[in-house]
Amino acid sequence: MTKRRDILKGAAAAGGLASFAVGYAPTLGKIAKGHWSGDKPERNITGNAPEPEYSIDPETGELKLNPDQALSYTMCIGCTTMCGVRVKVDKKNNQVLRVAGNPYSPLSTDPFLPYDTPLRESYRAMAQAGAKDGLQFRSTACGRGNAVLQQLTNPRRVLQPLKRVGPRGSGKWQTISFEQLVEEVVEGGDLFGEGRVAGLREIRDLQTPIDPEAPELGPRANRLAMLSSVNDGRDVLPIRWLKQAFGSTNYARHGSYCGGSYRSGSGAMFGDHKAMPHAKPDFHEAEFILFVGTAPGNAGNPFKRIGTLIAHARSDGNQKYVVVDPVLNNAQSGPSGDSSRWVPIKPGTDGALAMAMMNWMFSHDRINFHYLTNPSATAAQAAGESSWSNATHLVIVDEDHPRSGRFLRASDMGLAIDGEAYGDGDPYMVAGKGGPAPVGDIAAPLFYEGQVETLNGTVQVKTALTLLREEALSKTLEEYSTDCGIPVSKLVWLADEFTSHGRKAAVSSHGGMMSGSGFYNAYSLMMLNTLIGNLNCKGGTLYAGGWFPDNKGPAYNLASFPGAVKPKGFPLGRNVPYEKSSEFKAKKAAGKPYPADGPWYPNAPGLATEWFSSIVNGYPYGLEALILRNANPVYGIPGMAHLVDKLKDPSVLPLIISIDPFINESSAIADYIVPDSVMYESWGFAKPWNGVPTKVTTARWPVVEPRMARNAEGVPIDVDMFLIATAKRMGLPGFGDEAIADADGAMHPLNRPEDWYLRGAVNVATQGTPVSDASDDDLAVSGVARIRPQLEAVLKPDEWRKAATVFAKGGRYEDMDQSYKGDSARHTFDKPMLVYNENIGSFRRATNGKRMPGTPAWLPAEFADGTPVSEVYPESEWPLRVISFKSPLQNSYSVGAKALLRIMATNPVILGKDVAEAEGLATGDRVRLSTPGGSLESVVVVREGVAPGTVAIEHGFGHRSFGAADITIDEETWVADERLGSGVCQNDLGMLDPTRDKAGVWVDPVSGAAVRQGLPARLEKIA
Amino acid sequence: MDKNRRGFLGSVGRVTIGATASVAGLSASEDAQAARQPVKGAEGKHWGMVVDLRKCIGCQACTVACVMENDVPEDAFRTHVSVYEVVKDRRDPAMVMLPRLCNHCDNPPCVPVCPVEATFKVEGSGEVLVDADRCVGCAYCVQACPYDARFINHETQTADKCTFCFHRTQAGLLPACVETCVGGARNFGDLDDPESEVSQMLAKHEVSVLRPEMHTNPNVYYIGLDDVLNGRVAGEAAYRPPLTTEAQGHAGEDA
Repeated sequence: MTKRRDILKGAAAAGGLASFAVGYAPTLGKIAKGHWSGDKPERNITGNAPEPEYSIDPETGELKLNPDQALSYTMCIGCTTMCGVRVKVDKKNNQVLRVAGNPYSPLSTDPFLPYDTPLRESYRAMAQAGAKDGLQFRSTACGRGNAVLQQLTNPRRVLQPLKRVGPRGSGKWQTISFEQLVEEVVEGGDLFGEGRVAGLREIRDLQTPIDPEAPELGPRANRLAMLSSVNDGRDVLPIRWLKQAFGSTNYARHGSYCGGSYRSGSGAMFGDHKAMPHAKPDFHEAEFILFVGTAPGNAGNPFKRIGTLIAHARSDGNQKYVVVDPVLNNAQSGPSGDSSRWVPIKPGTDGALAMAMMNWMFSHDRINFHYLTNPSATAAQAAGESSWSNATHLVIVDEDHPRSGRFLRASDMGLAIDGEAYGDGDPYMVAGKGGPAPVGDIAAPLFYEGQVETLNGTVQVKTALTLLREEALSKTLEEYSTDCGIPVSKLVWLADEFTSHGRKAAVSSHGGMMSGSGFYNAYSLMMLNTLIGNLNCKGGTLYAGGWFPDNKGPAYNLASFPGAVKPKGFPLGRNVPYEKSSEFKAKKAAGKPYPADGPWYPNAPGLATEWFSSIVNGYPYGLEALILRNANPVYGIPGMAHLVDKLKDPSVLPLIISIDPFINESSAIADYIVPDSVMYESWGFAKPWNGVPTKVTTARWPVVEPRMARNAEGVPIDVDMFLIATAKRMGLPGFGDEAIADADGAMHPLNRPEDWYLRGAVNVATQGTPVSDASDDDLAVSGVARIRPQLEAVLKPDEWRKAATVFAKGGRYEDMDQSYKGDSARHTFDKPMLVYNENIGSFRRATNGKRMPGTPAWLPAEFADGTPVSEVYPESEWPLRVISFKSPLQNSYSVGAKALLRIMATNPVILGKDVAEAEGLATGDRVRLSTPGGSLESVVVVREGVAPGTVAIEHGFGHRSFGAADITIDEETWVADERLGSGVCQNDLGMLDPTRDKAGVWVDPVSGAAVRQGLPARLEKIA
Repeated sequence: MDKNRRGFLGSVGRVTIGATASVAGLSASEDAQAARQPVKGAEGKHWGMVVDLRKCIGCQACTVACVMENDVPEDAFRTHVSVYEVVKDRRDPAMVMLPRLCNHCDNPPCVPVCPVEATFKVEGSGEVLVDADRCVGCAYCVQACPYDARFINHETQTADKCTFCFHRTQAGLLPACVETCVGGARNFGDLDDPESEVSQMLAKHEVSVLRPEMHTNPNVYYIGLDDVLNGRVAGEAAYRPPLTTEAQGHAGEDA
């Protein structure tokens, strides 16, 4: 008999409580109950549960609405997925009671209802009377989505404009009127008794350069920056305000401290480092998916949709998937057997895994040559392919050549071209029998290296795929295995499995890429998809289906306006070529162009993480004012603690305005806090980041009366009203009575938020075949009757019922049968996949003047000057690696939703048996965990599913704000609640880059995104 | 459908409603009642739940939806998802998410122990419910339940538990936990209707119940329940560290 040794543990993840009840009252002595010994519930059987939202007669099937409740389709913003949901409102008490999914929305439902399904039918679909007993169109909210409605009534909401009392971060505030707020921030003055502060009006100087010696930096207006957390469906108006009206170029979102390295790595392959396109697996049709640095069903975006689809795929479907992660999490399912597997990996070494798989694929002819051999869209089309790549294009590899690292072009050969050299009309070259030939509509050689004669002499060239193969074969499987900790046999198994399903396999990644090698790790992982040619293929990777945009539509022009400014100058985050700066020119003239005074990121988007280095060092320039829109960089950026003291100094950054419904760690150091709406009180239009092959516009509208204070005109104070009012006071273009042009050129006002969002709804409604008009019954059934007066007042008679339909159905959704066209996606990405990216392969790092590979590669982490991290912080002193992982429940701003903390009260540090044994630790022990950047103390949980040498921390805890510290407003003190500050924040362990002279946190050298995965660490047990 | 499946655990037959469970004619002290609800079971239904563990993603949507729907007090749950890490010999560690709730047993051990006939089984549809007007909070039922599915509600001082969302199913809706189940693990319907989704799932899959040795004849079935979890209704408590008051992180030296 084999001896079974099964271990069962309550995992450190949610749940696993000893019993349902924490305890129960004494059992005797209550029998003679004359009256309630406790509070009397409303009903004797179902307690305080509210009346159902509607009922369906089992006999007649008649739908009867509950007149006391509104049931409205709108948008959740409990995370960045922004699902379509159905909200149940107690009308009398202006209270959201509960939330479920919107069955029209693919983000909440699969399959989802056709858009023309009547509203009443949509309610029936989710009830017992619906298909498959109501289970077919079951539409859901996740754990967090169910809980975050509690944030609306969170007693710690900011409802009035606040102005700091005393120094920044004192925790003391006074309430001020909206009108005073607008006046002070626009006009400036001696606002805090600390000396004069420039107001926004003064900073908006479009003429005076920031630095006459460096005109490339642009005008003074750039010294105002706005950091928005995420496009929650309201980003268009702030961008209009900052860029087109105010004239600053400095707008960024939180990506550079969230998942920026993944997006940059993907953007390198998709050929766009600004928009950074990416694709997601076809979760419906894929037969094998490899998840690396993303945890399907545990977290991620679109969270629920992926969770729903992989749950189906691993049980009823025939899909297998593998999750590669330093920590075993909910993405894996034991009951699903071998359909879902977990492979542990050393933190931050995903590139070694990807390059090992490529090594094996090149060595075993498991590359899709038929796909890669097409050098152009026309060739691909002729070959029956639904996408193409630049695998065959020739790259100049001579180190000394002025165009080293660039593609060979027709103009280099002296061939006739259209337009300028290296422009769109200058063809790329491929290998041909008689020498290089311009790309045509037939296949080209995949592998070639040799010398070619150009106008400027002989140059060495190689095809892109040749360079990639060289890179992949530059290390052995054993070497890759040593680096990533995955046995060679498993690497081979993964490569074999991945290449055994034709196009019906995919690699998926996301936020786990935030390591020091993040950019190349992500580029390498994504390249696996290109090597099997799966883009746009059913079962492969799909590009997002897109949306019905609110700002660009047939009815109103919300994208531009007369007098719009085109911002000029270098962005604050140094995401432009250093070689274009005056600093470079001066240093070159002095004979030593490199190193620059700090790092530059010419292949990155706007970088909020780097902003803070720029601000505290004034390099390349500093700021006079910073506006935070629902953003919390102080909590979110690893290593930020090292910069906060300088940020708090008004002589470094004179004005900080935070727009947020709560006092977070960043608004805590602001000068002013502008209240904002929460979730179901606000307007907005969002599209999915990805993962839905059809068009989706999710609409959000105030389904309850917002709780914020009103301005003098009675409009609730939120981000939109703040921007409109400040713009009007400054006299900025694009706001006020004549701001929005309709299709006939007539101008309409932008004086309050609904002027904007209702017109946006008309744009959504009227694209292509317009949606049908909402009937009076639709308005009643959906609760949109609540905003009927605004709809009628703002919109034209033939418009408002169409806009009402968009709100009544919670958005506009293309039908599911539009997902595919044959074996391809209907909505495709049509530009080439870049096996070699010449922008990456030709730029020089400003910090050391060195080049980097233009193909995917496995590059162990380095600091800015090129010094290996392992040299500065050797394993002998820092034997562990710390990672952060996303919580299924908590995010960075949800801690105030009480229902979440009762499930998961805190976040102990998680480690594996090897570390526990080495350090003599058991679950429950306390440790001090240290990195070169900081240390924290925590209890530990010892688990089986942790890679050796790894310590893992769940994100979303360890707050110092949101109620974790005392706040005094006027004379009232909100006393801290220690539960809200429970646990630790992994970003407290974040590091400065020790090789940067001007202080800045450790970031990836290409993406410029923050590093939080794989921080060198050590720990000690404490009493 | 295999009508015997629900009795497959054997010896104890289905319990029909006895005197203890009858709600007709109950009368609590007159002046102190909560609003009295009719408790006629849904016509011709026998409610049951089939939980497909392969589909549970551990998101706790059910847990929270239940809390929100039923105003469950702060220190208790009517349902939640226990999360386990299972290690078997020569196998990789694996995650098991186990949704737990009242099993609405056909042979409910909680009913006969109630001294005031407050806890009862609804005739026909089969929910095990508590009449809070009658309950005196003695907690015998809490102790009797082999699934740890009951607790004393500290606000009302009465026994509390899952009702299968009685108020919702009566209106033709689904229980909140089922409606919001992201992975589609929780499935609810009429076990007496061979065409229902749950009946078809029972016909198609091997299923098990928790603690079969208790012969409770539960109406909650599991697909993919590993033997190792069969008796684990309570589980080993996940470590819940004490809250600390001081801030726990601080910036260290810049090396």
